[in-house]
Amino acid sequence: MRNILVLGSICLLLLGCAATAGDLATTTSSSAASEIRWVVGTGTTLKAEAVASSADILPLAVGAEVQVLENAGRWLKVQSASKERGWVFAGRLSATPPVAEVTPSEGLLAASAQQSQIEIAKADSARSIRGLSAETEGYAKERGTPLEYRQALDGILARRVSKGEIISFMRAGKLGEYAQ
Amino acid sequence: MKRYLLILCFLAVAVTASAAWMDQLQKLADPESKERKILSGTTQVLSSSKEIDYITERTIGEALALESMQRFGKPVAKETMQQYVNLVGAVVAQSSLRSTIPYHFTVLDSSVQNAFAAPGGMIFISKALLETLTDEAELAAVLAHEIGHVAAKHALKSTQRAQFLQGVGTITAATSGGKGKEYQALIGDLQNKLFDQGLDKSMEFEADLAAMETSYRAGYNPLAMIRVLERLQKLEASSVKKGSWFSTHPPLKERIARLKREQARYPDAATLAELPERFRGKMK
Repeated sequence: MRNILVLGSICLLLLGCAATAGDLATTTSSSAASEIRWVVGTGTTLKAEAVASSADILPLAVGAEVQVLENAGRWLKVQSASKERGWVFAGRLSATPPVAEVTPSEGLLAASAQQSQIEIAKADSARSIRGLSAETEGYAKERGTPLEYRQALDGILARRVSKGEIISFMRAGKLGEYAQ
Repeated sequence: MKRYLLILCFLAVAVTASAAWMDQLQKLADPESKERKILSGTTQVLSSSKEIDYITERTIGEALALESMQRFGKPVAKETMQQYVNLVGAVVAQSSLRSTIPYHFTVLDSSVQNAFAAPGGMIFISKALLETLTDEAELAAVLAHEIGHVAAKHALKSTQRAQFLQGVGTITAATSGGKGKEYQALIGDLQNKLFDQGLDKSMEFEADLAAMETSYRAGYNPLAMIRVLERLQKLEASSVKKGSWFSTHPPLKERIARLKREQARYPDAATLAELPERFRGKMK
């Protein structure tokens, strides 16, 4: 009886170790197959092939999660949340999620974590039309900021670079996905 | 005998459980693991729930921009240079962890070697610091460091005075009437942090790492950041310290050592863009 009990305990120990080892093995293979990256670059698209001039399959929004299927250096073959497969330039993805913009809810410090791109776009286009915001004009008046500095700030805010200019600049410098 | 058997059974269960627990801990320690990414994502959402919204942040940034120009000088009156710096900045910003806000990059006519970021994406670099750089990858690294501060909202996290915004409904209400003085005190505090005292060391190291990672994603040689710091180290003895990168940032030796420990993460760094000719052409 004593021998049976000792044998049983040893079996239990072995089973425990085997189960742990099995769990480790499963985890290693599944984590390699399901590596997640987040889209950080604006204007990112899923491409049919690992080249910038390749056809677009699907636009990928900033913050979208993709699953890495294959690593070909600076290009990654990925699967989107909608199960579409294609290639993305690795520089447009990150192993860390991007910053989530917030919108005010209960006071300016207690903002909700909702995406607020519409608010950002509205604020930016308003600046381009009317120069400095009423709040900044009020601050400048209160502090007695000379007109030349207010005009200089207006000039800074008015300066813009378009998407087309950025792409041309990257192409000319063979930067990022235009390096090939 | 029964006691030994019970101990043996207990050990069997404990070994199984602790091995599984150690496995989970190892996964959390690995920055590339799914578990770690999920955890960091959750932390980010939780912390952002206490953060300031973009419009408020940008308004504070505009007030600081007015103050910075009065202290360091107006923008350099050379449109080709300003446009070039904005293009390099835009390329880097679109690869940053906060790519969806508009950024504005400005070269200030200042003889003090400095660069700083006001909240909301207003980034400044002095003409003196620009003149110490030798290629586009180095410029990208400096701008990426500042973008790192904007993305992590370091300036606003460094002051307790921002707490007065709690419970204030709009930025208009926060900047006028009875709150106006508190708003001015906040701007004063931020000026002190950005132009004199400097941000926390940990924030600067975080921005240095972000600079390497972001410029690498954009396609620039990330090791350019180390080159910039090494060049500044050589110039330190003969440079103006007050209000410069020397006085507002941690010792260069420490920053360089930390970045060198990360070099191995970029084995293809030497194959990436540096563009010295394009840079020199725009500086003329």
